[in-house]
Amino acid sequence: MPAMAAPMIAVFALQFEGCAYQPPAGDQTCLGYLDGCRTQSRWQTTAAAPTELVIEEPLLQDPAETPLASRPFRPRGKVSKEQLPSPRTAEADKSAKLAALRSRLSLHQRFPLQTLARTLVHPSADPNPAFNNASLSMLGSNLLGYYTTEYLLSHYPRLPMPVMFAAVEAYIGPRALATVASEWGIEAAAEPGGEVDPGLLQFRRLRSGEDPPSPAKRKGPYKWNITTTHKILQSDEFGSATRPPAAQELARLPIPLEEAAQSFVRALIGGLHLHLGAPLVKRFFRDHFLSRHLDLSTLFDFRTPTRDLSRLCAREGFEAPVARLISETGRLSRHPVFVVGVYSGKDKLGEGAGSSLDESRFRAAAAALKGWYLYRPLEVTVPSSTEGGLNATRWKPNMIDCGEVIV
Amino acid sequence: MPPPCKSLLLATPQPTRLLPRTLPNLQTRHESTTRRHKKLLALPSTPSYAPSTTAPTLIFNPPSSAPSVYHTPLKFLPPTDKRRALYNAALTSSTATALSAHRSPVATPGTPLSATSHLPPKPSAKLPAAVRAPYEKTYHVTPEQIEEMRALREEDPGRWTRVRLAERFGCSQFFVGMVAKNEGAAGKVAGEHERARSRWGSRRREAREDRGRRKAIWGRDA
Repeated sequence: MPAMAAPMIAVFALQFEGCAYQPPAGDQTCLGYLDGCRTQSRWQTTAAAPTELVIEEPLLQDPAETPLASRPFRPRGKVSKEQLPSPRTAEADKSAKLAALRSRLSLHQRFPLQTLARTLVHPSADPNPAFNNASLSMLGSNLLGYYTTEYLLSHYPRLPMPVMFAAVEAYIGPRALATVASEWGIEAAAEPGGEVDPGLLQFRRLRSGEDPPSPAKRKGPYKWNITTTHKILQSDEFGSATRPPAAQELARLPIPLEEAAQSFVRALIGGLHLHLGAPLVKRFFRDHFLSRHLDLSTLFDFRTPTRDLSRLCAREGFEAPVARLISETGRLSRHPVFVVGVYSGKDKLGEGAGSSLDESRFRAAAAALKGWYLYRPLEVTVPSSTEGGLNATRWKPNMIDCGEVIV
Repeated sequence: MPPPCKSLLLATPQPTRLLPRTLPNLQTRHESTTRRHKKLLALPSTPSYAPSTTAPTLIFNPPSSAPSVYHTPLKFLPPTDKRRALYNAALTSSTATALSAHRSPVATPGTPLSATSHLPPKPSAKLPAAVRAPYEKTYHVTPEQIEEMRALREEDPGRWTRVRLAERFGCSQFFVGMVAKNEGAAGKVAGEHERARSRWGSRRREAREDRGRRKAIWGRDA
């Protein structure tokens, strides 16, 4: 067994020195939010609070008027940790896991551990929107969708919409976010509660082999007439046909790990935006999401590439494409190889190899179409780079293509 | 009569050593001893695959591959793209180099000496042969002929099939199907095909399904 060094506790001690976070009035620790005339204070759990007023409107009413059964459970008076649905905010400073996570992600010391702890609480563990990550997750989801789509649209202006949706899902889809969370070393609590370490992902677990309850399943379609235009206008950023359940519908319901992990990653992005600002979030997004390798050329699925290429050449005013045999070997053998190029006039558009003339012609046409769709401009200024009046003079309009080939 | 040489004796099958015909042919090795045979088979590995040092190292030896689809062809670049000028300059310079370089007649393409040349090939006006004979669309069918086509198809779809109409008017069968579609005849033919498919055995059906799957792969991974 190799010799083991003692853990570097001094690192955490240094971190604790710099960030003396003062929980504001109305924090979970002082339980002042239970006072009926101080409804305002219950939103001041973290600095992110004022933006989340839109999440659950019924809670804005006077708690005295709301029926007891519908109110989220918060015990009165002096309570033990075990009675709370999620850890207290003050526990965040004592958690080594949270400090380690903040260091591992190279986040600035200005980002409070209290917010980091809140991003780890899923509504299925704590239904109170002042203490779970639903609001941050919604903000982060919108930011992730914005940054990903603007990157793809300005760097690959000719990408067809189905490929665009697939690429967005590959970058920031639920499964990709769950993978990112596991690569960051996020561990899940076996059961949520006030006594668990706030550095663990808190959600109510779905037992293995069980189906999620019906409110936690995806809903019916946004609209029955599903076209590409509807997917762009009505659906989410992935162009999905069905609607995911809202965060507050998942309160106290057992959910799979993937659902909780993706809500954590989104909430972290939202929290970073509120505490550190957009430029740092863009850098974080570049480092952790755009750096993931995605080969866009594998997302295409052509059915009639030869016909599509003919239509494309007619639309753009090129000569009609002609397949020409560049080289061949073993025509009369069991394993022949033909290399066919598609030419328009004297220019070669694409090249493909196959074991029959038809196959190589088909593959060459598909390669030519990929060459068209995967065009990448040399100079790109993404719209978000000019936010706040920065770099506004260096703005250059991006190329906008007239769209994919429609046969 | 002198005795035949030893190797001929070994090569000639002896009647006593004949094997039953049901057994497969045995492997012959054409070397007299095991040592010589092992020495023959102990080939040095290809230099590019053998690491030069004993320490662990990376061997990068990619095969020659198809052109990348991320290299947009010149024709697909928008007119404002800077790469147009760069591509044109590179083409001009390589053509000039190839035309100005004097090449000995012993090093013409097709000879072994031409392979070692680092110069670009001489530009040639000739393109490779087309896979299928190119044709020009003629658009010669008149509206009156289209009406006649429809009338014939309506009158006797059994006799005036798509093939016969295409032959008579000199157009493609696809065009006949577009202008004079007959639902009844199409359904009848589809039913015949369906009946024929239902008589297939498992081997033929699986082979056809596999062919369809292979074809679907063509468009996914070019």
